[in-house]
Amino acid sequence: MTRYVLRRIIYMILVFLIVSLLMYSIYNLIPTDPARAQLEPIKKSLKPAEYEARYAQLREEMGLDSPLIVRYARWMGFAPKVNGEFDGLLEGNFGYSQFFKKDVAEVIPDPMKNTIFINIFSTIVALAITIPLGIFCAVHKRGKFDSSVQVLTIIGYSIPIYIIGLIFIWFFAVTLRWLPVSGMETPGNNFTGMRAFWDRMLYMTLPVIVMTVGSLGGMTRYVRAAMIESLSMDYIRTARAKGLREKVVIYSHAWRNALLPVITVIIGWFLSIFSGSVIIENMFGLNGMGQLYYKGLMNNDYELALAIQMFYIVISLVGQLLTDLSYGLVDPRVRVDK
Amino acid sequence: MKDKKKSKFSFLRRLFGNRNKVMSFMEEEQLQSPGRMIVKNFTHNKLGMTGLIVFLCIFLFVMIGPYFFPLDLSYQDNTQTNVPPGMNFLSVPKELEGNIVDITPGTTFAVGVGKDGKIHVWGHTKITDKIDLANIPEEVKAANIVSIAAGYDHIVAMDDKGAIYIWGNRRLGQDSLPDELAMAATYGKDLHIKQIEASYQFSAALTEEGKLYLWGNKNMADLKVKKEYQGHIQKVALTTYSYVSLLDDGSVVYSGFEKDNSLVNIPEALSSGVVDIAGASNAVAAVKEDGTVIVWGNCDKGENKVPYFESKPVELYGGRYHFTALMDDGEVISWGDNTHGQASVPDSVNSEEIETVFAGFYQNYAVTKSGEVKAWGLKGYLCGTDNLGRDVLNRIVNGGKVTMTVGAISVIISLVIGILLGGLAGYFGGWVDMIIMRISEVVGGLPFIPFAMILSAIIGTRISVEQRMYLIMVVLGVLSWPGICHLIRAQILSQREQEYVTAAKSMGVRERSIIFRHIIPNVMSLILVDATLEFATCMLTESTLSYLGFGIAPPTPTWGNLLTGANNSIVIQQFWWRWVFPAAIFGICTICINLVGDALRDAVDPKSAER
Repeated sequence: MTRYVLRRIIYMILVFLIVSLLMYSIYNLIPTDPARAQLEPIKKSLKPAEYEARYAQLREEMGLDSPLIVRYARWMGFAPKVNGEFDGLLEGNFGYSQFFKKDVAEVIPDPMKNTIFINIFSTIVALAITIPLGIFCAVHKRGKFDSSVQVLTIIGYSIPIYIIGLIFIWFFAVTLRWLPVSGMETPGNNFTGMRAFWDRMLYMTLPVIVMTVGSLGGMTRYVRAAMIESLSMDYIRTARAKGLREKVVIYSHAWRNALLPVITVIIGWFLSIFSGSVIIENMFGLNGMGQLYYKGLMNNDYELALAIQMFYIVISLVGQLLTDLSYGLVDPRVRVDK
Repeated sequence: MKDKKKSKFSFLRRLFGNRNKVMSFMEEEQLQSPGRMIVKNFTHNKLGMTGLIVFLCIFLFVMIGPYFFPLDLSYQDNTQTNVPPGMNFLSVPKELEGNIVDITPGTTFAVGVGKDGKIHVWGHTKITDKIDLANIPEEVKAANIVSIAAGYDHIVAMDDKGAIYIWGNRRLGQDSLPDELAMAATYGKDLHIKQIEASYQFSAALTEEGKLYLWGNKNMADLKVKKEYQGHIQKVALTTYSYVSLLDDGSVVYSGFEKDNSLVNIPEALSSGVVDIAGASNAVAAVKEDGTVIVWGNCDKGENKVPYFESKPVELYGGRYHFTALMDDGEVISWGDNTHGQASVPDSVNSEEIETVFAGFYQNYAVTKSGEVKAWGLKGYLCGTDNLGRDVLNRIVNGGKVTMTVGAISVIISLVIGILLGGLAGYFGGWVDMIIMRISEVVGGLPFIPFAMILSAIIGTRISVEQRMYLIMVVLGVLSWPGICHLIRAQILSQREQEYVTAAKSMGVRERSIIFRHIIPNVMSLILVDATLEFATCMLTESTLSYLGFGIAPPTPTWGNLLTGANNSIVIQQFWWRWVFPAAIFGICTICINLVGDALRDAVDPKSAER
């Protein structure tokens, strides 16, 4: 097992390097010249020859003329920069955000907190709804309730999330006026303590609802499928044959086995709470990771976008690893290292 | 007789006799080919069939629709912004039938006066959320109105005593009457006004003595009159930002002070003998005694393409980008821009004797001798208009075409890559399989939307709009192949143990043709299912990217970017048609595709329905 995990981790690092190299080369397609940009303010005070000399010197200092692979290694922190220091991603230097005029490492924490906060909420709510619903539908397969839930779930995962968002904003915020349309807190407030907390919760409600509704369709179908699969197994027939109560059959025998595929998906899911939803956060004006990424791209702040993109890739790779490992953890019959 | 006998003993014959009728193997065994079975299973699935029919309807709608609603990417019209759905622009109230004195069409509304001096307003009159032109002021209701003129957002009316009333938008000086007019109104003096006109934030009144008064927003329009022309003006024609006068000596002059607009250079032929003039938005037309019509100004919408007349035009009327002429034999002819059908005179008009014509913006009204009103032009918008005055229905139809095309092409790209790589992985196995599977895992594991966003943001800035569309197709295709690749590989691995593959192998068929000619056709139905579901996913992703502004950029419409900017409470509530219609058709479309995909999967593999 340890060997398997090690192998997976090494493989993961390899993939990360390849993808990050790819991303870095794409990023390098942007025609920018930081040396010229830095010299621009003092261009007028310099003579042309002097300017050219300074420009060449700056390019040298910034290492702009090195081949792509060298610049990549410097950016990652594998190779020393021109001044001899190791200062790359691995050393914690995620770059400098032109838009926020701050280091990326300073920009990220706040949005990250918000994103985690919203996502944990919506994930818990979604699980609390989908698991009982999925089980019920599987047990009462092909009943009226199940059929209508099936149609609803198809509708749920067919409609893009932003349309669901629009409908909910229209209903709850515009027509009923129960909830605010967008934002993080009441503008210009100076609430403290509980008041601030409730104000925040009020603003979080609609995004959380929309996010939950958006993930209901797929998850319900998944739970239902897993449950039906395990209900059709021979051991269920055995359990019924020996006269166990239906409740025991369903919750003890069937559900536990249905849990295996579900749990792996949930673990994969839990990692996505860090990445946030670009659409929802933009729609509701939430200061989260998704919106930060969007802002970075919209304002040509590519260093910020690249850093977040790297973060997303790490999240997805770790997610894959955990999903794979969890197969073996939750189901002793599965030997992942084989 | 013979037949009956035959049938009576048929079962005996079947038992003992020899059969003359040769049945095929399929009939004899009552077997169905897999294809036919899938079709049968599918057609028995009500939900799936409904989905298929609705989807086909939508598909035909967006594929054939663009021929009826051609897309003009540069089209926008600030007079038609945010008009709600409705087709009532031309519905003249019954009370006006048979007693019309005057009609003036406005941007999205029209005003008419009856012989009883009462005003009627119809069309979309609520031009902003505060101003509703249908709220006629009380003093206007009480007065006996004889003449009326509608501008962009205000209405000017004159009663039989020569008093002028203005309502609608007044914030930009639309109601700041010149002193003389205001004084006359206060002291009840009649100035004998014979013509009133209104245009973009300004209005004009012309007296019998030939004196012209202009008032309104001086910053937008040329509102001055040169002294030498005052007292000689016969008729005035307003355009959006300026005006032209017809003098009593039959010549046309630009009587304002501006020197550099397109109307200043009046054609020389118009220095005498002009009978009538009419103004469109940027051009003016004049007709001479001999019936020649001359158009000058900014004629980029075809205002100057005057058709050949068989008879002599006597009166001219200007719309926004078209002109309508009344001939001496009562015929009516229109020319110019025909986007809303405003320049195609219906046959029913020319079969009647026409008394007079009223035209303006996109509407035309012809009154027959018997007092009947025939209207043609812009009836309204079935799905309303957006913030740039574009018809939402037009954009839905054309956007649907783009969305579906992008979806289909991305699916094809992902199918080609997926089948090829899946086939290679399954066929070669070993390290090729390993590498392909690892690559597909990485690509499949990448966060899709952020990745597509960064690709589109970085590459998309340096290419044209059209190239960007292809870029989106390629990005979607290249990022969504892993699913199909896994499917093909798994199928190849399981199918290669089947008898038909063994048979093909023993016959010495090459491995490559076993894969691409024997196995792939056998799993085609599964590929079809996957492609259907993938199609919906690609459409969703494309629209999401476009919604965020990283997909296909406006003005090219897609179902995604129609909804961009819809998530604020003003649009959601007041301009609901801008998001409800695109969202509804898109939602229905993707639901139907997924229903079809699900039904197909059940049909292909009945066991999957159990799950």
